Amino acid sequence: MNRRKMLSLLGMSPALLAASRAEAAKTKTKTTKPMAGAGKIEALNPKGIPPPIQLVPMAPRLKSLDGKTIYLVSDGFPGADHFLAQVGLWFKKNMPDVTTVYRLKAGAFADDDPKLNAEIKAKGNAVIMAIGH
Amino acid sequence: MVTIAFKNLALSNAAQRGMPHERICFTPHPVWGKTDAEMYAYLEGNDPVSGKSLMKEVVDVLTQPLTAEESKTGTVTPDVGPPTFIDTSDNLQQYYIDNGMTDFMHIQLPTQEKVDAMLKGTSHHPDEVVGKMCPARGSYPEWSYTVRHVAINAVMAGALPEYLPTILAIASSGVTALSSSTNSFAVAAVINGPIRDKLNMNYGIGAMGPFAQPNAAIGRAWTMVSRNLGSSGTPGQTYLGTFGNSVNYNNLIIPENEKDSPWTPLHVQKGFKPEQNVVSLFVGFSISQGQAGVGLGVKPVPQFHEALRYNMIPFGPLFGALGVLDPLVAQGLVELGFKTKEQLADWLQKNSTISAKDARSTLFGGRWVRDPQTPDDARIPYYAKADSYNFVVVGGQTNPYHMVANMSYRVSVPIDQWA
Repeated sequence: MNRRKMLSLLGMSPALLAASRAEAAKTKTKTTKPMAGAGKIEALNPKGIPPPIQLVPMAPRLKSLDGKTIYLVSDGFPGADHFLAQVGLWFKKNMPDVTTVYRLKAGAFADDDPKLNAEIKAKGNAVIMAIGH
Repeated sequence: MVTIAFKNLALSNAAQRGMPHERICFTPHPVWGKTDAEMYAYLEGNDPVSGKSLMKEVVDVLTQPLTAEESKTGTVTPDVGPPTFIDTSDNLQQYYIDNGMTDFMHIQLPTQEKVDAMLKGTSHHPDEVVGKMCPARGSYPEWSYTVRHVAINAVMAGALPEYLPTILAIASSGVTALSSSTNSFAVAAVINGPIRDKLNMNYGIGAMGPFAQPNAAIGRAWTMVSRNLGSSGTPGQTYLGTFGNSVNYNNLIIPENEKDSPWTPLHVQKGFKPEQNVVSLFVGFSISQGQAGVGLGVKPVPQFHEALRYNMIPFGPLFGALGVLDPLVAQGLVELGFKTKEQLADWLQKNSTISAKDARSTLFGGRWVRDPQTPDDARIPYYAKADSYNFVVVGGQTNPYHMVANMSYRVSVPIDQWA
């Protein structure tokens, strides 16, 4: 499934997501009262209230990776450390001007790690984060 | 970089956190268990989503200028569809199923009349906010919901109005029945207090099976609430359990058999009065039988504590232990000297250990053996504290059986506050 189709299925304009399929709902349902004798009934939408989403602009990109430092960050899932070691090896072989630094993010996979973020801001130019196992 | 198994999860999560166009490169799945050479081959190959050379794509996403869409700011309110749906009964049944609002079985359609009747089960205002829920706390945005929302889902689950306070209590906890984890988790609700008899809950023969309306409907409502109010249970996006779990249809609903138990009821252990109505929630892997445990063939009194210890050997430290005991087992344990649940928990905590070598070799080794200097032959307790063990007495005394669940206690919620 491509991103645009999934965005639509999830009930959002392609600019945004929510975990519902309300786009489909719009085409199949009406919000007016049913007509008497039409053999139809009206049932309530069981969905809750998703929070509003604050759009976050993405960080500016680098013009080039030459001479830059890329942090390779694992979220702690099994295998991510070995995988990122291979990413570091790839840069060493193919883009030797790039410096890579491996770090394991603190906490559970979804937890913020302010200390690491501060280190990356101070010493790094880009981040590649590995998610999965 | 995300392994392909988590594609939809990554895309939807990024969007719900405000970056619908986050630049994500995908690798084949899994990386766990692959050799260095196999993983390097992933990097030399193509992104399985875009079809482009993976590492060239990685370099590109770090260096290509941002588009206008990627630089957007502002607030967007997600749309969950119209307030009502109108169609024939058959078409609506299929519509709710097709749009992921059920457990893929027919429901009681939530008409205004049915929902109004359900709302008579509580004194709370329909617009009162009940709580927040998401598929995994910290990983997804939390949805909120009102008493009316919970009532709609209670109708869909086939509940009666008198069940609503219990369902509201569960919903108020924010504990989803459909965790997003790849582990296919299960949940349990232990119900204590006079409400068990008031609702005609079954805590005797077949208590945990499909043999009583309140047990069945309250459990099913928890799943409905989780799907529709907690934004849980969309495979690939908010649900990643590789197998799924049939327990999730209506969850483990366990009204404690207080009158036949020799021990203090669970809710009193948690600080409530015996006359209070309380639901206590557990989360973890799932539940399994205990009949194969060592010591059960010992006569005249089977060594139930040994069987519990043996049956909990496969447990990992990610969750605690919940023992589900027929009253005959609880009475047998009293004869063996365990006068309280706490004494049994203490014995299990002291006598359930694993070698540091074996612990290190497990997937959760780091949680068990934190000090790298620990010698391989050191014995590590399964759980550092006795309160990781909980017990509930339930069942019809047709045989002295028990079950064990690798599940942790989460919270106890008074039901009466939602009456």
